[in-house]
Amino acid sequence: MLLNGVVLAVNYALIALGITLIFSIMNILNFAHGQMFMIGGFVVYYLYGLFGVNYFASLVAVVAVLGVIGWCFEKFFFQRMRKMATREENSMLLAVGTALLLENLALSFFGEKQRGVPPVVSGVFKIGDAFLPAGRLLVMVLALVLIVGLLLFVQYTKLGRALRALAQDREVTYLMGVNVDRIAALGFALGAALAGLAGGLLMTVFGINSGVGTVYSIKAFIMIMIGGAGIVPGAILGAVVLGFAEAIGYALLPGSITYLLIFVGLIVFLLFRPQGLMGKPWG
Amino acid sequence: MPILEVQGITKRYGGLIAVNNVSFSVEKGEIVAVIGPNGAGKSTLFKLVSSFVPPTSGKVVYNGQTITGLPPHEVARRGLVRTFQETTIFKEMTALQNVIVAHHLRCSASSLGIYFASPKARADEVSFRDRATEILDYLGLGAVKRLQARNLPHGHLRALGIAIAMAAEPKLLLLDEPFAGMNLEETDAAVEMVRGIRERGVTVVLVEHDMSAVMRISDKIIVLNFGLKIAEGAPAEIQRNDAVVEAYLGRPDDELGH
Amino acid sequence: MDQATDNRCPATAGEAGGSLFSWQALGFTGFLLLVFVGVPVTFGRLPYFITVLTNAAVLSFISLGVWITFSIGRMNLAQGAFALVGGYVTAILATRYGISFWVCLPLSGLVSAVLGALIGWPMLRLKGVYFAMTTLSLTEAIRLLALNGGDVTKGATGIVNVPPPGTIWIFGRMVVPPFSSADPMPYYFLAAGMLALGLVAVWRLSNSRLGWVFRSLRQNEDLATSIGINVAKYRVMAFSLCCFMAGTGGAFFVAFQQNIYPSTYTVADSVNFLLYCFLGGLDYLFGPIVGAFLLVISFELLHAIQDYQALIYGALMIFCMLCLPNGILSLRLRRFDGRRNPKA
Ligand SMILES: Nc1ncnc2c1ncn2[C@@H]1O[C@H](COP(=O)(O)OP(=O)(O)OP(=O)(O)O)[C@@H](O)[C@H]1O
Ligand SMILES: [Mg+2]
Repeated sequence: MLLNGVVLAVNYALIALGITLIFSIMNILNFAHGQMFMIGGFVVYYLYGLFGVNYFASLVAVVAVLGVIGWCFEKFFFQRMRKMATREENSMLLAVGTALLLENLALSFFGEKQRGVPPVVSGVFKIGDAFLPAGRLLVMVLALVLIVGLLLFVQYTKLGRALRALAQDREVTYLMGVNVDRIAALGFALGAALAGLAGGLLMTVFGINSGVGTVYSIKAFIMIMIGGAGIVPGAILGAVVLGFAEAIGYALLPGSITYLLIFVGLIVFLLFRPQGLMGKPWG
Repeated sequence: MPILEVQGITKRYGGLIAVNNVSFSVEKGEIVAVIGPNGAGKSTLFKLVSSFVPPTSGKVVYNGQTITGLPPHEVARRGLVRTFQETTIFKEMTALQNVIVAHHLRCSASSLGIYFASPKARADEVSFRDRATEILDYLGLGAVKRLQARNLPHGHLRALGIAIAMAAEPKLLLLDEPFAGMNLEETDAAVEMVRGIRERGVTVVLVEHDMSAVMRISDKIIVLNFGLKIAEGAPAEIQRNDAVVEAYLGRPDDELGH
Repeated sequence: MDQATDNRCPATAGEAGGSLFSWQALGFTGFLLLVFVGVPVTFGRLPYFITVLTNAAVLSFISLGVWITFSIGRMNLAQGAFALVGGYVTAILATRYGISFWVCLPLSGLVSAVLGALIGWPMLRLKGVYFAMTTLSLTEAIRLLALNGGDVTKGATGIVNVPPPGTIWIFGRMVVPPFSSADPMPYYFLAAGMLALGLVAVWRLSNSRLGWVFRSLRQNEDLATSIGINVAKYRVMAFSLCCFMAGTGGAFFVAFQQNIYPSTYTVADSVNFLLYCFLGGLDYLFGPIVGAFLLVISFELLHAIQDYQALIYGALMIFCMLCLPNGILSLRLRRFDGRRNPKA
């Protein structure tokens, strides 16, 4: 049960980091995050599941596909919107629209069926008196590697620094001569790719269908609300809390009650701490 | 009885003490200035007095009543109105609409009455429009009252901020840097305007960095540094005060008077 | 030019009698004629089309509520939740206690409004994406609540066979004939009536001082507080009005479809209400109506191309947003602006 919590938490962290990245850089809440997750899953389903492409190669393809989608979204949709909109809500609403677009896209091309893939590796590990299928372990390790990689990337590379600068202060970054639009598009691409990768990984455990987008978007929102929007350690913390809450809840309670409790808890929590666990208070 | 009495008010933000055990009082009809270097806690003091943020300790007595802990709109209803350091207006309304809306406290009709345009509500709105026009004319905004507020030039924006506050019929008005960003001429006009506001029976407390304006306008000056009140007195005394000079010494760009 | 700007000032609220003859009123009369005379005469024999219009009318009625919360600067994704609440109230009262639909309809709105006020009071302190995300969670939470509601909501099986609205007798005269599921026309008239009433009510609201207070909240809550506006009170007022419209709309659909399930209103519906407003234009009272009718009707027209219906619908919508990021009605504004206000 707790092991499941760890597997979930690590993958959720991947989702939460992606949406945090986009939020902190663009100040856009990516409503389509879950849909990007879902598309990542479908890419793996088609390449690895149907055409027998190597799993890792499929994951690379996921990065490419979602990267392009994310890049296009920022380049063609949001940049245009920011220039033309008279009300700030409009960008947020466009984000909602993109979610609907991707969902309809998936519905039209992938159908409504639940899809799964054969496990990448077989076998079971016994840890203490709990069993952990090797497939889940692989997913967990991969996600962990990706998270560490991402954090190192943002911390130590030139592009990573540019992203962080952009998140801190758009104006100043612009004045420093950084091509803000290009960096923002890359940031969006990166965030989308993270969502897709999480989809590609969790796909091997839970399978996927065209309808899961919203579910995962909501999960992503819950995580950043718990941790505090736009804050990296907050995202990870939120993922840990949600992952364990889910694993424990599903083990002890019937089906949908878990989420009902999570929502109620979340709403009450936000009333007392609207900025999340790690966010700065406003005003 | 002083109109405002601040008693040992303190505000902590984490480890930082933004305002530290500050006490002072303001008499009816005075113009009092609060000065101090950047980050001294002047704006925080205003937020405490107007109940926008709760104090860590201490209290504010206004017209003999303790107002600490009251919600800020309630404090405004009693006639203690503040303006903001940053330009704060309703951007997507015209200047006139800004000031008409700001008459909210004077509505005699209930929400339902307003909704169904009862005779009372209609009379209210007609009188608000007249009064708003009068206030705008008085503050020199008559010519631009039909422009969208977002399109007004900076000097006008500050005046509009004050016009909005005036519409709420303050008895005590807190002005946070009313002359910021104005040139000499504009400042002169604005100083006259503040005097005029006092003539209308409004007590004024203002935060300002423009020392020459402060020296000219105020009856009393309160000096803050690192949250502490380091001096209080008439302009002439403050100019001679060693502690004040010292507080400003590290900041040669802030000239102290002449 | 003065006249044009004056019409938008609260001070003219007092002159509402005069503005009865304004363009807005003329447009509204045209709208009424079209809805109550034009449509029934033209499409009276096409029940399918009437059904689509009925849907669109009540959906825009519900979105009108969301528009109110937009006017106080909140992006409300809980409208589905309150429509579901209203729907269940009507369904439960009608099936269990045999209470007439005509009582249930306003009652559902009231229950939603009270619930909205209770939840909204603390929740409206949140702003921006936080409010959006929390209301989104609320939509999910209410759906799950209905799903786990045991005997009260009947869980996933939902409540079915809700009786249609009955006859209304006043002084022994039949004022409203009984509804039947075979004929959509009475439902259409009811929906159109609700929409017309809602429009007048919200129009009145947005032109009165209350509307201006709401707008001032959107533009700057701190400034509004500083001039003595009780921000929390007006926020809750706007939100519960919005919930009232959701509740009555939800109640209507229960009577129209004679059933309700936890999945009748999901996050997708909450999102749609929002998008109707956006597509029509957030700054216009008619925005949600234009948006809802356009999207609902175009979705039905795309029915012909079955497989790609959803895809083309989604693409069309994004295309629309990108071409007219301030809503379809901003087209009209641009034209007028050029003429009336050459300086701006
Ligand atoms: N909400 C807050 N949270 C944390 N610290 C704060 C907050 N508001 C103010 N401070 C801190 O309190 C101190 C006093 O700030 P304040 O704005 O009152 O200064 P000020 O005298 O008005 O300065 P200025 O002349 O620049 O306007 C500053 O160090 C500021 O960083
Ligand atoms: Mg200040």
